[in-house]
Amino acid sequence: MADLPSHISLPGKKRPHQANERTPVYALVGNPNCGKSTLFNALTGLKQKVGNYPGVTVEKKIGETYSQHGKPIKLIDLPGAYSLAARSPDEAVTRDVLLGRRADTPQPDRILCIIDASNLERNLYLVHQLLDLGRPVILVLNMMDLALKAGLQVHASRLEKELGVPVIACEAINGKGLVDLKLAMSRVDLSLAKHRWDVPAQVAPAVAELQASLTDSDGRSPLVARAEALLLLTDFDTVRVAGSTPLSPRTHEILAHWQKRWEGEGTDWAGTLVASRYDAIAKICTDVVQSSGEVGPSISDKIDAVVVHPFWGWLVFGGIMTALFISIFTLAQYPMDWIDAGMSALGDWVKRSMTPGELRDLLTAGVIGGAGSVLVFLPQILILYFFIGLLENTGYMARAAFIMDRLMSRVGLNGKSFIPLLGSYACAIPGIMATRTIEDPKDRLVTILVAPLMSCSARLPVYLLLIAALLPTDAIFTKVGIMIAMYALGTSGAFGFAWLFKRTLLKGKPPMMIMELPPYRLPRLRDIALHMFERAGLFLRKAGTVILGISIVLWFLTTYPKLPDPAATSTQQIAHSFAGQAGHLLEPMIKPLGFDWRIGIGLITSFAAREVFVNSMGVVFGVEGADDDTTPLRDALRQATWPDGAPVFTALVCITLMVFYVFAMQCVSTLAVVRRETNSWRWPLFQTFYMTGTAWLVCFVIYQTGRALGY
Amino acid sequence: MPAAQKNLSPLCQLPAGATGRVWELKGDENFCQRIREMGFNEAALVTKISGSTTSLCQINGTRLALSHAAAMNIIVEKLPSAAR
Repeated sequence: MADLPSHISLPGKKRPHQANERTPVYALVGNPNCGKSTLFNALTGLKQKVGNYPGVTVEKKIGETYSQHGKPIKLIDLPGAYSLAARSPDEAVTRDVLLGRRADTPQPDRILCIIDASNLERNLYLVHQLLDLGRPVILVLNMMDLALKAGLQVHASRLEKELGVPVIACEAINGKGLVDLKLAMSRVDLSLAKHRWDVPAQVAPAVAELQASLTDSDGRSPLVARAEALLLLTDFDTVRVAGSTPLSPRTHEILAHWQKRWEGEGTDWAGTLVASRYDAIAKICTDVVQSSGEVGPSISDKIDAVVVHPFWGWLVFGGIMTALFISIFTLAQYPMDWIDAGMSALGDWVKRSMTPGELRDLLTAGVIGGAGSVLVFLPQILILYFFIGLLENTGYMARAAFIMDRLMSRVGLNGKSFIPLLGSYACAIPGIMATRTIEDPKDRLVTILVAPLMSCSARLPVYLLLIAALLPTDAIFTKVGIMIAMYALGTSGAFGFAWLFKRTLLKGKPPMMIMELPPYRLPRLRDIALHMFERAGLFLRKAGTVILGISIVLWFLTTYPKLPDPAATSTQQIAHSFAGQAGHLLEPMIKPLGFDWRIGIGLITSFAAREVFVNSMGVVFGVEGADDDTTPLRDALRQATWPDGAPVFTALVCITLMVFYVFAMQCVSTLAVVRRETNSWRWPLFQTFYMTGTAWLVCFVIYQTGRALGY
Repeated sequence: MPAAQKNLSPLCQLPAGATGRVWELKGDENFCQRIREMGFNEAALVTKISGSTTSLCQINGTRLALSHAAAMNIIVEKLPSAAR
């Protein structure tokens, strides 16, 4: 018999309670859309830590809850998965943690598996694989209310008897059944499942050989080795992620041998294994589920009749997207103004409290000015996450992806790419992180490559300033028209490049999207708020570390070397600084686009964050408080001239500069995330080259054509 | 009954509202394996809800969206309405 974890006993054998028990680690597992996050939040509340699995952009969520006896229980919320045969990096992390393949995460002692009672058969497939692992499992039978509405009577006690593991009926969304669940989780002596699954006889020798190799050469316990052997035989082209311990050469050799043999025989053992699991599940379901016959259309059916309708569906989608953008650009303005005012007041207070000097400049211009110019976007990001949370929580997001699939398929992507691209309107970083649910690696890479072309909220202040310089009067409709044109240009660029990449560089088969559309639910504001605060925390951490660091470096580059003449103006000083010298160095390259060295400084500093352009122009043109009120800066830009007296910021240059910002890759943080996501510098470098190259080329054509036409 | 005599078509061509029995899964191994795991086993009953480019269908109480390429690879036998 295998060595079992200290707190596990075999059926029938009770173990006396020990005072110094180790904190048990539970893994929370389940299919997507089965209420896993709601249960995790209900169990752990705010006691959560959100991070990343090292080397892979998959979120690692660990929370803490307490047993009925007040003892701590650690809970790892694993990404949703339909099967342990992983098809995406998310699912690969779930598989690797459960199999103990990740050195950065403790192998869970116990498994808390949540299943959707209204769709028992499919959910039991994952349970069936989990029971193979030989770990104590508690099943949470969630959404019992939905099952009843669908005319299904699910008998938890019969399921418990069939599987030999505790089964707790629950409605996580209303908190029903949580006390019973806590009681089950508090049990010291959880017994192992009586689940015994006879694999087809023809596969048994392969399973035995692989199991022996995994035990001897890969250090797995015999039970985990058997489960992993079964998995390897059904998962030939397995998804590997960074941080996952590779298999030993001997196991690889055995696996290759069996795969080759079966291929030669033309036998589809992988399909047979799935079918035999489903046969076993069907037998269980016959005893456990009673159907009350035909029921009328559900609320979800009625809503879907409109929401996924070929005509009304687009109207609903358009309405929601309009509401989203109006909220981002209007509602967010109030808190943004407050943050702006707060940062200005803080800067003024530091100025008043300290004597003039380098340190004061560093604090006001570098730290407060730099990080403040980024912090100001927090309300927009929060609003976007509120909407994304609301759409996901209600079940609409999957419908939006369904509606967009038709459009996305024209460029070779599928509806799943829509969610990351939508997120990229706020910031490409969460957008890129959201690509992890896309199974096809090529589709995922194409989505990552084009996501930064969606105009993020950091471009907004640049557009606003340049539109103000272009149209100083109150031509509100023209201004809005230009703004929409910039967003449309970026979106078309993203779709155009996706089309190009899918036909050249990352040629692939037509997208095979299969996506579950969960039933509609009333949103849980607590879950949405938790999600928003999590994101706000991550954003603030980024603003407080990376962006703050870069802001300080930029301050240094725009401040040093100092001019010997103390009476020199800030414009003269910046021209003399390292950044000024770089701007001059850059000028020959950007002059064909109509940009001078001062714009060059703005372009360089934009690498910290695009919105820093506004700040930089304020510094370059010696306008104080450019972030608070752009009117003086707008006037300064309109008065800026070339040495021959010709204006710099003509209408043509303003348009060209906006187009440059639409296409150019100017965000170090995004590049860092792309590097982490693709595990190589090749793709972020390619992204920088193709985006900035396109920006230059398009701007060159616009500017030179405009000049030729006399603008 | 031999396949030739059956009313077989790709899922994307199944009319909205019709129910079919999964007859065959085509395409690469990974795709077949994943959709089998999601309940698209041979012999499973699937009801088409809407869509021709992207199909929306119901299987085992779950509503699934399938891209055109995915739905092309699922061959179903259309069942007469009385048989559902």
